Amino acid sequence: MTKKATFGKTLVAAGTLMAAITAAHADTLKIGIAGPVTGPVAQYGDMQKIGAMMAIDKINEAGGVNGMTLEGVIYDDACDPKQAVAVANRIVNDDIRHVIGHLCSSSTEPASDIYEEEGVMMITAASTSPSITEKGYELIFRTIGLDSLQGTLAADYIKDKIKPQRLAVIHDKQQYGEGLATTVKEILGDAGIESVMFEGVTPGDKDFSALIAKLKRNNIDFVYYGGYHPELGLILRQSREKGFDAAFMGPEGVVNSDLAAIAGDAMEGVLATAPKSFDQSPENAALVEAFKERNEDPSGPFVFPAYSAIQVMTEAMDATGKTDPFELAEHLRANRFDTTIGEIGFDAKGDLTEPTFEIYTLHADGSKTPVSK
Amino acid sequence: MTETSLYVLQQLINGLTIGSTYALIAIGYTMVYGIIGMINFAHGEVYMIGTYTAFITIIGLLTMGVGSLPIILLLALMTAVIISSTYGYAIERVAYRPLRGGPRLIPLITAIGMSIFLQNYIRLAQGSRDLAMPALISGGIEFGDPAVFEVSISWMQLIIWVVTFISMTALALFISRSRLGRACRACAQDRGMTNLLGIDTNRIIALTFIIGAALAAVAGLLLGLYYGTINPYIGFMAGLKAFTAAVLGGIGSIPGAMLGGLILGVTEALTAAFFPSEYKDVVAFSLLVLILLFRPTGLLGKPEVEKV
Repeated sequence: MTKKATFGKTLVAAGTLMAAITAAHADTLKIGIAGPVTGPVAQYGDMQKIGAMMAIDKINEAGGVNGMTLEGVIYDDACDPKQAVAVANRIVNDDIRHVIGHLCSSSTEPASDIYEEEGVMMITAASTSPSITEKGYELIFRTIGLDSLQGTLAADYIKDKIKPQRLAVIHDKQQYGEGLATTVKEILGDAGIESVMFEGVTPGDKDFSALIAKLKRNNIDFVYYGGYHPELGLILRQSREKGFDAAFMGPEGVVNSDLAAIAGDAMEGVLATAPKSFDQSPENAALVEAFKERNEDPSGPFVFPAYSAIQVMTEAMDATGKTDPFELAEHLRANRFDTTIGEIGFDAKGDLTEPTFEIYTLHADGSKTPVSK
Repeated sequence: MTETSLYVLQQLINGLTIGSTYALIAIGYTMVYGIIGMINFAHGEVYMIGTYTAFITIIGLLTMGVGSLPIILLLALMTAVIISSTYGYAIERVAYRPLRGGPRLIPLITAIGMSIFLQNYIRLAQGSRDLAMPALISGGIEFGDPAVFEVSISWMQLIIWVVTFISMTALALFISRSRLGRACRACAQDRGMTNLLGIDTNRIIALTFIIGAALAAVAGLLLGLYYGTINPYIGFMAGLKAFTAAVLGGIGSIPGAMLGGLILGVTEALTAAFFPSEYKDVVAFSLLVLILLFRPTGLLGKPEVEKV
């Protein structure tokens, strides 16, 4: 008899415990944060992570969303399309329905197919390739301007202000870099500025001496580079050594303190299109302080877009009182939002309705100043 | 000189520089193949470890306030050579020697496994970002009419040529003159017989791994200084190129590796000079296929004699 009672008590206790666990489970809403944690572009993944995590913490401090606490779960795709697919599947299996990411366009693209199919909402704060939102997907959004806009901005600036005599357009043969390079070349070609050279380099290559000798021979006075900082850094460094002194311009993929470490003094004066420096805007001063208190650097181009991605997602949850991705998507398209990257809205494709890029001059110490137009 | 010839000269200079370093790394492939008939795919990673060691030493010395360039370079060279050689020896001892005498495919697979292991080990230990270092040796000589085309040779390029030349000469002398060198040659000709004659062939094999690793470390220091950035993935492509150089020149032949490296480097530079530079690997590897079609043993390789 005593034995039975004990058993009964245990059962009740176990039941209560189970209920408690389920309740705790229902009270947290997991948000996946997918991007490179390892690999050569891991520092960009960091920017996205600190932005999203800060937003999650701020929202939790303010009481969460619909009575739920948010929890950021980090996934590493290493900027590798194959790993991105694996990560997307794991997110789906982990029953996460809201994702911030991915980072590299080439990873975001295959991952977005999986999210759309499985009913997961994805907002990327960094991928700028136009094709990502061109498939008519319902659940895919971004809080960053398009590649093509960046290319257009760069091309307009080159044709109006620089007016190069002999232009070279170099790219790294990847979706992001070549896409941008092609846009720049086409717009300038239409404006009557033909590219003397249009060439690809191999990502990961270290020796650009042959390319530089060719640039020198063709008397190039302006180079647009579509790609990331490791290659551009070496091209700049080796150009300096070989006495090739044309002006360079790149996309936001090169804007990174590592570029300064690689290129050294040769980086001074390089032009780049990059998202507006949201850490400079007065409305974000308090947040910038919060980042600095955590010893995090808020100046990276993807920090505030990632923060805003969480903001719009949770604002939609607040307004609809639901977490269902389809209802959230409808709300996102129909409304405008006041975020850390300004007042934004989304078009039918899920893109921002206003551009967020600006042209900067980069300096050897790693800082950047906006170019006056 | 005309503009084109100056331009070609500049590209030859670029090609010879990169080719010299291919040759240094290729020695490791070719010597190991010559003696035990296996391809040590982990050799590219030994080169990468050499680069990291040199980098860490240089940065360490700079932060300690050592300002003298010759001392920095000498110490970096010594540590890189010692650490890389230790790795070369350890890889042979741990991964290849226990498998000696087995089917040929098995050491090949362990070599690939070793390569992946080392790459990921460095990635975890040192991080996967590009490490960069300020240029220690900058400047160079320029000649030719600036109005036509100015050819530039940097001091670093000259250093690469000189160091490669010295290392290669030292190796050639060692192989042809010293007792150990003679033992190496004997081993390459007939390992079983050499063993019967009282030479510890295991020691000789370990020695070839050490020599190959030491030369790879020299290449690592030179390329680290030349480019100024490294990451854990550089061993793969460098290894592939050096392996190609070794096969091109005739795998197993030391002069062949030197020649193969130079030809590969110059081919790449000249391709990039006159075609879009994305084709340089395509042309370099097509050349390899062509040469192997007409000379299956490579340029200086000896046809394999059927051993009874």
